[in-house]
Amino acid sequence: MPSVLHTALAGAAVALVAGLGPAAAHHSFAMFDLKREQVLNGTVKVFEWTNPHTWIRVDVAEADGSVATYSVEGQSPNFWSRRGWSKNTVKPGDKVSVVIRPLKDGSKGGMFVRMTLPNGEVKEMAGAASD
Amino acid sequence: MNSVARVLVLLAAAAVCGSAVAGEAAAPQLGPFKREDWAKLATLPDLNGVWETLGGPITAKGAPLTPFAADRLAKYQSARDKDEIQDIASANCLPPGVPINMAMPYPNEILITPGKVTIVMEAFTQVRHIYTDGRPLPVDPDPAFNGNSIGRWEKDALVVETIGFSPETELAYGLGHSDKLHLTERYRLASPDKLEVTFTFTDPQYFTTPWTFTRSYQRRRSWMTKEYVCFQNNRHELTDDGKAIVTLQK
Repeated sequence: MPSVLHTALAGAAVALVAGLGPAAAHHSFAMFDLKREQVLNGTVKVFEWTNPHTWIRVDVAEADGSVATYSVEGQSPNFWSRRGWSKNTVKPGDKVSVVIRPLKDGSKGGMFVRMTLPNGEVKEMAGAASD
Repeated sequence: MNSVARVLVLLAAAAVCGSAVAGEAAAPQLGPFKREDWAKLATLPDLNGVWETLGGPITAKGAPLTPFAADRLAKYQSARDKDEIQDIASANCLPPGVPINMAMPYPNEILITPGKVTIVMEAFTQVRHIYTDGRPLPVDPDPAFNGNSIGRWEKDALVVETIGFSPETELAYGLGHSDKLHLTERYRLASPDKLEVTFTFTDPQYFTTPWTFTRSYQRRRSWMTKEYVCFQNNRHELTDDGKAIVTLQK
């Protein structure tokens, strides 16, 4: 991705997070690098549909050939279930592409930004609620 | 004084002595309620149901802070900016209390019964108990995250008075209060499915004049209040020295 566009997108994302603040309902964003996005292409290991946050564990092939499990923190089931998600949105074995804002300390994980499902559908972090 | 009157006076005196011996006024009782008390609910504003919270988190912007409160808030914000306080208390699953918990990205459900209004706040599975049976505010109540509330019905509004907040309750992140905090809320329908709640805080230590703001809520007839058990899978922690910790694997 061109760096200018990347920076612009990250800036917009920070503004969205700061303005919307759904995850701030439970904790701060101090642990995430909000200026950076990382793309994880891998296989879903577990989808934890739990409060106060969902977690998507994704197995990703590293450059050295090993496989590492990344932990991606998403919204609560309460928040996402009113925005088109369910406990069945992803399941173990699904090939997905997940964009995260990585943890500052370099641990393998981060904050969910968006995810492309096997059928090509893109799921976002937030959005308007529906009936 | 005739003999009948004298007997009545003696009986009244005995009743006073009786309650004095007991040491304190009898605790208010809820009900019993009659059929007409239930029928009367149909004449009240229709606030019953699940309400989506609109707007973002509550901030102290525009609050008429005393120098004392402004200084404390500035110190908090400085500590957050310098990363000395990296997270909020809710990271440890403590509920933020009223009003912050009323402005979460989660709905609130209002239930109206005779003599009482109950608000189920989905965030942190919190409940507000608001007595509308005419009892006074409690005297020196135990502090509570959501305070201690009574309410009354006016023509088109529910008016709620709350005192007795926990010292841990914040009015906005970093904005505390004294034990003199008094909150008045006015709930009224702006349109059939739009609820407006005006919050007014008085606290001589924190505000020079009452601090007022209005929040809106959208009725969601298809929504059901969901479970929110914070301890189920909480991987965040705010340590005593202000550090934020995330534990990816347990």
